Amino acid sequence: MESVASTVLSAGARETAVRSARRLDRRRMLFWVLPPVAWFSVFMLIPYALLLYTSLGKVEDMRFIPGLSLDNFIRVFTVDPYLGVILKSARIGLMTAVFSAVVAYPLAFFLAFHVRSSRFKFLIYLLVIVPWWASYLVKAYAWKTILGSGGILNVALQKVGLTDEPVRIFLYNEFSVVMTLTYIFTPFAVLSIYAQLERIPTSLIEAARNLGAGGWMIFLRIILPISVPGVVAGSIITFSLAFGDFVAPVLVGGPESVMVSNVVINLLGVAFDWPLAAAIGLVIITLGLLLISASGWLEEKTQTRF
Amino acid sequence: MRAFGNRPLVLALAMAVLGFLYLPILVMMLFSLNDSQYTGLPFNGFTLHWYGEVFADRKLLVSIWNSVYVAAGVVVLSVLFGLPAAIALDRYDFPGKGLFRRIVMLPIVLPGIITGIALLSFYLTVHMRLSLYTIMLGQGTALMCITITEVFARLQQIGRSQTEAAANLGANEWEVFRSVTLPGVRSALAGAMLIAFSISFDEIAVTFLLTGRDNTLPMTLWSMLRREATPEVNAVATLVVLMSIVLIVGGMYFSRGRGVASRES
Amino acid sequence: MTSGIELKNLRKTYDGHGQGAWAVDGVDMTIGAGRFITLLGPSGCGKTTTLRMIAGLETPTSGQILRDGVDITDQPVTDRDMRMVFQDFALFPNMSVEQNVAFGLRVRRMKGRYSEAEIRKRVYQFLDLVHLADHAAKKPHQLSGGQKQRVSLARALVTDPQIVLFDEPLGSLDASLRKIMQIELIRIHRELGKTFIYVTHDQDEAMAMSSSIAVMRGGKVMQFGSPREIYDRPANRYVASFIGHAHIVDARMEGRDAEGSVLRVGNGQRIRIANDNENAAVGQTVGLMLRAEDLSFEKAGADTLGGCVVDSLYRGEYVEYVVELDGNAGVVHLHARTDLPALDQGAPVALRVNPHKAHVLVQ
Repeated sequence: MESVASTVLSAGARETAVRSARRLDRRRMLFWVLPPVAWFSVFMLIPYALLLYTSLGKVEDMRFIPGLSLDNFIRVFTVDPYLGVILKSARIGLMTAVFSAVVAYPLAFFLAFHVRSSRFKFLIYLLVIVPWWASYLVKAYAWKTILGSGGILNVALQKVGLTDEPVRIFLYNEFSVVMTLTYIFTPFAVLSIYAQLERIPTSLIEAARNLGAGGWMIFLRIILPISVPGVVAGSIITFSLAFGDFVAPVLVGGPESVMVSNVVINLLGVAFDWPLAAAIGLVIITLGLLLISASGWLEEKTQTRF
Repeated sequence: MRAFGNRPLVLALAMAVLGFLYLPILVMMLFSLNDSQYTGLPFNGFTLHWYGEVFADRKLLVSIWNSVYVAAGVVVLSVLFGLPAAIALDRYDFPGKGLFRRIVMLPIVLPGIITGIALLSFYLTVHMRLSLYTIMLGQGTALMCITITEVFARLQQIGRSQTEAAANLGANEWEVFRSVTLPGVRSALAGAMLIAFSISFDEIAVTFLLTGRDNTLPMTLWSMLRREATPEVNAVATLVVLMSIVLIVGGMYFSRGRGVASRES
Repeated sequence: MTSGIELKNLRKTYDGHGQGAWAVDGVDMTIGAGRFITLLGPSGCGKTTTLRMIAGLETPTSGQILRDGVDITDQPVTDRDMRMVFQDFALFPNMSVEQNVAFGLRVRRMKGRYSEAEIRKRVYQFLDLVHLADHAAKKPHQLSGGQKQRVSLARALVTDPQIVLFDEPLGSLDASLRKIMQIELIRIHRELGKTFIYVTHDQDEAMAMSSSIAVMRGGKVMQFGSPREIYDRPANRYVASFIGHAHIVDARMEGRDAEGSVLRVGNGQRIRIANDNENAAVGQTVGLMLRAEDLSFEKAGADTLGGCVVDSLYRGEYVEYVVELDGNAGVVHLHARTDLPALDQGAPVALRVNPHKAHVLVQ
């Protein structure tokens, strides 16, 4: 009798112990999960929902009238400047990403393979980061000083004798925007490519040399293929940031290099066409989500596993 | 034997890239000393006049302080909410986890203007007045993913066994957090905080739409640059660069001293 | 076609001023063509550094490396016709197994030597040699450790090098796989007849595979000889204790004649052994190396050492007895068959020393 009772009692106690542990774990999970989820709901999901609400309406006489129409979205894709501006921004973004990767590669390569002492590596690493801290605005403005018709480049060309009068094509066009943006993102590209190259084990290079390969062969057949996926992953961020930039077009760009963020700002300001701006915003948000998913998938497929 | 390829060529190209990186910086620094009303050529001679102007320009100095204030707030927010998010992503499988991850990463690939416009419509709807705090909230949301990514990566690296060992030894949740989790992610967290601070300090896109009466440094510079700028802008930018170099070198010195001491103990 | 290597007073330090430690401190060695020799020692003894200098991956601080009499100390790594099998396999992750193996045949230096068809034929020939022809299209991350190692080997051999260098290639494989690979390597060496220079810290591996072993320590070669020489006649105490399990008991050389030597152990007991080390002079204090297999239990009498049992450990294959010699002369281990009656702790025993195996150490 006694033993049965104690068995039942202890079974009951055991059961309580299991339930309590599970409840505790659940409470802990909520403790960690709820605050960030709440934050992002309030400061991202709700604002995006509001954007959607806004985009479905229209503006008349400077007043917002809610509605339920997709007119604004249709305008984004059909009415003249909008789709073109989005595509142009994408093109500028792509060129920036490619150029900054190409410019950055030699420095990253040098750092990863030709610098042996870690102190020197750290020094160059710092040298790459320092320009990053100078104000973005002032750096972009400095390019104006360099590229302008009275600027350093022109003065140098005239001094050397290559030109007689100032060349105007350096500034206030797509070229200067891409140049400036490439400059801005090169440090980031250096660090991201360097991280990729540093991962490559030294034994691979030694094995290749041991097998008789020369420098170019090692680079083209081994280093480049291994580093490209990581370079692409880093480029996606560069592309996005260049795509959405509004400073460079204003400071060093011209009428033909207007980008999507400039258009959105104009729509919010004088034009006061909030619904259209919201619609453009939502289109870009959707593209952003697709981009994140695509890059995640791409990284999975192509990332080199050592 | 890690080096390969034509060393002089690689060195030349690398130095050319470094030169490219520093060209505008040097231009900026040089022309901050220009005895001229304009930021460009011609160069008339050296003067410290514009540095004097910076320290006399009350609006500019206030905006620098505002930038520091906002950046500090952004760092606090990203740690307060980003650290739990990273822990949640590392330890638990909750419904909507995949969606949450994407939402968190989204601000990085979005133009700041878009994040700004979404938040602006939110603030207007709830009739919140624009101020430094609205900037803080906006930048915090955008930059939180940096903290989350860095800390998450470190947590994944550390793995679960230390936490399990601590729990097995009788530590409660708080003790585990304080003596295992926090020390483990300390350097990743510090790195993320530094990056978030420096990005926030120079941020303009999100700030542009969410600024109230008080301006941050980038906003002040923006209005100065839209009109015809004087070398004062170069001077303040040079000062910021020099300041950050001092901070970083000082920070390294300080942390290296700590590091050596802990190794010896 | 194969070559021999000669190392002359090879030295290497990583400290630019020469004040620091020497990773390799004066190594002299002659490696005959077609031999399988092993550099054996604990980590930090300089064996890998020596191997890398032979390959050209490190430059010696001083000394010479000669190949068939020709000085190659300065020759660039790409030109030396010696392939290396790396410890972490070093397979190119972006290429298939076949492309990895073919790599050395497609470098510019080899242009025109083989046609494309010949390259394919050779690649598959060597993949067959290592039994991996079926996996030719796979990528390295899809292979197991043992398979990766074999691809690494095929890649090295396919270019028909004169010398093959091995840098602890089996270190990351599990024990049974390691034994299989060791037999494979011996077979391949026999088939190809090339010089193999092998680096390991595993003495069983070294003894099983090589025709000569160089035991290294602190950048120097302690002894260079056949496995049997190293095991039975170690040159000094370090080699004696590094290889196998040995106990070294202090003794005094008391007499020597044509029949053998007499040694007096610390407790006064004497034993007679065959004449062994000529460097041992009468009256000198020497170390008497006693391996477990050189000792057996006997009835007490002349030429036995007395002691008592301190401990016994069941090892499955045998029982290991720890015996302390009388008068604190030393502690030895010996093995006994498991079907014999067990000896109790404290039991007095007499040990017979195999006079032909016991070895005298003067250093």
